[in-house]
Amino acid sequence: MSDIHAEVLVLGGGPGGYTAAFRAADLGKKVTLIERYPVIGGVCLNVGCIPSKALLHMAQIIHEVDEVASHGIKYGKPSFELEKIKGWKEGITKSLNTGLAALIKQRKITLVHGVGSFASANSIVVESESGSQTISFDHAIIAAGSQPTEIPVFPNDDPRLWDSTDALELHEVPKKLLIVGGGIIGLEMATVYHALGSQISVVELMDQIIPGCDADLVRPLHKRIKKQYENIWLETKVEEIKSLKKGLKVSFSGKKAPESETFDAVLVAVGRRPNGFKIAAEKAGVKVDDMGFIQVDEQQRTNIDNIFAIGDIAGNPMLAHKAVHEGKVAAEVISGIKAGFDALTIPAVAYTDPEVTWMGLTENQAKKDGIEYDKASFPWAASGRSLSLGRNEGITKILCDKETGRILGAGMVGPNAGELIAEAVLALEMGADAEDIGLSIHPHPSLSETFGFAAEMITGTITDLYIKKK
Amino acid sequence: MSEIIEIKIPDLGGADSVEIVEILIKAGDTVEKEQTLAVMESDKATMDLPANEAGTIQEVIFKVGDKVSQGTLVAMLKREGEVAAAVEEKPAEAAKVAAQPAAKVEPVEVVAEVKAPVTAVVSEAVVSQGKAHATPSVRLFARELGVDLSRVTQGSGRKGRILREDVKAFVKKVMSQGVAQGTGAGIPSIPEVDFTQFGEIETQPLSKIKRLTGDHMVRVCLNVPMVTQHDEADITEMEDFRKINNAGKPEIKLTGLVFIIKALVAALKKFPQFNSSLSADGQSLIYKKYFNIGIAVETPNGLMVPVIHGADQMSLNQLSEALGDLSSKAREGKLPPSAMQGGCMAISSLGGIGGTAFTPIVNAPEVAILGVSRSKMQPVWNGTEFVPRLMLPLDLTYDHRVIDGAEAARFLVALTQYLGDIRRLLV
Repeated sequence: MSDIHAEVLVLGGGPGGYTAAFRAADLGKKVTLIERYPVIGGVCLNVGCIPSKALLHMAQIIHEVDEVASHGIKYGKPSFELEKIKGWKEGITKSLNTGLAALIKQRKITLVHGVGSFASANSIVVESESGSQTISFDHAIIAAGSQPTEIPVFPNDDPRLWDSTDALELHEVPKKLLIVGGGIIGLEMATVYHALGSQISVVELMDQIIPGCDADLVRPLHKRIKKQYENIWLETKVEEIKSLKKGLKVSFSGKKAPESETFDAVLVAVGRRPNGFKIAAEKAGVKVDDMGFIQVDEQQRTNIDNIFAIGDIAGNPMLAHKAVHEGKVAAEVISGIKAGFDALTIPAVAYTDPEVTWMGLTENQAKKDGIEYDKASFPWAASGRSLSLGRNEGITKILCDKETGRILGAGMVGPNAGELIAEAVLALEMGADAEDIGLSIHPHPSLSETFGFAAEMITGTITDLYIKKK
Repeated sequence: MSEIIEIKIPDLGGADSVEIVEILIKAGDTVEKEQTLAVMESDKATMDLPANEAGTIQEVIFKVGDKVSQGTLVAMLKREGEVAAAVEEKPAEAAKVAAQPAAKVEPVEVVAEVKAPVTAVVSEAVVSQGKAHATPSVRLFARELGVDLSRVTQGSGRKGRILREDVKAFVKKVMSQGVAQGTGAGIPSIPEVDFTQFGEIETQPLSKIKRLTGDHMVRVCLNVPMVTQHDEADITEMEDFRKINNAGKPEIKLTGLVFIIKALVAALKKFPQFNSSLSADGQSLIYKKYFNIGIAVETPNGLMVPVIHGADQMSLNQLSEALGDLSSKAREGKLPPSAMQGGCMAISSLGGIGGTAFTPIVNAPEVAILGVSRSKMQPVWNGTEFVPRLMLPLDLTYDHRVIDGAEAARFLVALTQYLGDIRRLLV
């Protein structure tokens, strides 16, 4: 006998899960939400996007204070009270947790804390400290997320070997910190700990940091952090990490890396693994692939008709904003709305300093697929707004269809670039072309202007630069 | 050595996609020049595909049910006199050719090869360029309606963007086509009945013409609000004149129908709204300055409506000739597509068979049709006494979106007056 029956059961209370639950409730469904942690919000809110942004904000202030010193404003050397910083960060997540709890209450969603695993295609068992209970459901939405990838041969029990969650805890500021993985998460944490005074080394297997992003967008970031950090070792593999008393001895193999070096802490940020194997999906008949992903169709439906999957567990990219939209689609489809996930792009942002962001077609992909494109890169050195921020390394890049001028992709690097990409996404979804973008008036002086300028470079109407006619 | 030539579909006189209904050749057949290789059917006419050269068929590339246009490659033919060369290359096949007398051309099994879906793809020939140019809300709207945006070819928004209205228009278009195909989106279908439970049955396929007519009739009935009105024309004197004329043993005998055509043209001139069509969006009326009269003709394969073009320019004799020519061509299935296009109003005459009245269906986009039943000698009150008069029952069905009842009544009155006293046609 089941204790609760849900019309829609959502497994996992991250951004995808709670969005799905809220949308389903708003569409009149009786919803039960299962969350294994005491607080709602998942990785994003508790140990991901939000706390990391709080710390990055702080890091930015530290940098800016440092930079204005050369412009004639001196504050002196900052001192840190880690506990207070932690408290501030936790205050932010707490206020969001509280907000979510209120939204759950307002929507009369049944919140069950515990670890859920399927018992059948219509029921799930939730284990918690207070015992286990069975919940039956008409429809289920799996939103069980992902977790940081662990490398089994590393001494994972050593407290000096961190994953992103540990890094966000802010237990200590190690003198020498190695970041394994030059992706977005690794570099964001590098930014934070660098600001707090750690000596940072980054090791990346591929030939550039933020693999997958176009090299020209990464270059200004690489150039800047190269000066700030001790080392950035590309095309380098970590062979071994040994726990020694004085630190973690890391052995490398790669062109420029040393044979080994000892660090006070090592952050492993080599990606995330979906939690597909942790929910007894097989008991519901839901197929999970070798990687742990659950394949879904455009309606977020798994191979089992009444079971849907969204977010990290349903495939890459593992981004909260993708999960949120997928969650809405799943809830709407279950409620009889003919929805589908057909977004043209999912933007990516690295909140590094400078920020790196891109959306739509990358140049790498266009070259690989043989897609003809027109390209323009507007240098922020010609942007008054950027210069007035004391920065000149940014770039706004736009790729347009050679025939029609329609926007295919865009990318930016520079302070606050992450805020600028939204306009490019809108342009892509609306099918705007370079002319449309150039003719839309952007406020002056602003960083957003650079997007308009880049479009004008495509149409040949730019006046803020002088480009010789071909 | 051996020259292989391609057999392609010749100019079809304007028809751009005709269906292959019968193939009379197969690989290895020897054909003579002008020999019929296949039969094609368009609109309601069938056409023969002749061999442009004599020779041996190497390969038949088309199938029954394929839709072809001018230039479509249908077969490969090896020119006559070069069979010897083929013998060297492929003795086995040549032996087969030799074993088959040249004259004996066996028709290919037709029914077994009917392959329908091929046709739709050809006629649409719409290839979308990547993702459709539509905003997220329009994409959602399309999804709700189940519209594949790649099939909405022309957006009416700025720079060809597909707007909500375009999706709606597309749905309307598809819906009307869907009805024609009998899929009847939204319209309850007639449930299937197993007739064998009541007794012995035999199932025979409908002829192509019957199917086409059926589709057209359903389309018209669903789209056009129709009203039928009836009247009678006193044709006593018209018949007298006709009989006197024919008794003189003229080269061309006149039928009653040509008088009706003549009278109809006169009525159309007087009431131009009957010689019109509604624009596709229903917002305007298109008046026609020409007078082409369609005549419903019964043929062995079904109903056909050949059109007498420029009927206003013709004498009774010329009309008689044209009518005779079109009717016999229709019965033989030899009408070119052009002879069935461009009608202004049609006449469906059942007078030769019988009946007192019926309700013909308008041949849309025409807006009216005239039905003619069997004339009968009737007592008519002339004010003082009953006199025997030959009365012709007329039925007028019209599109009520274009024509009102009073107009239709006036039209019928005018028509009966023309027929009642044919001298009026001269006025």
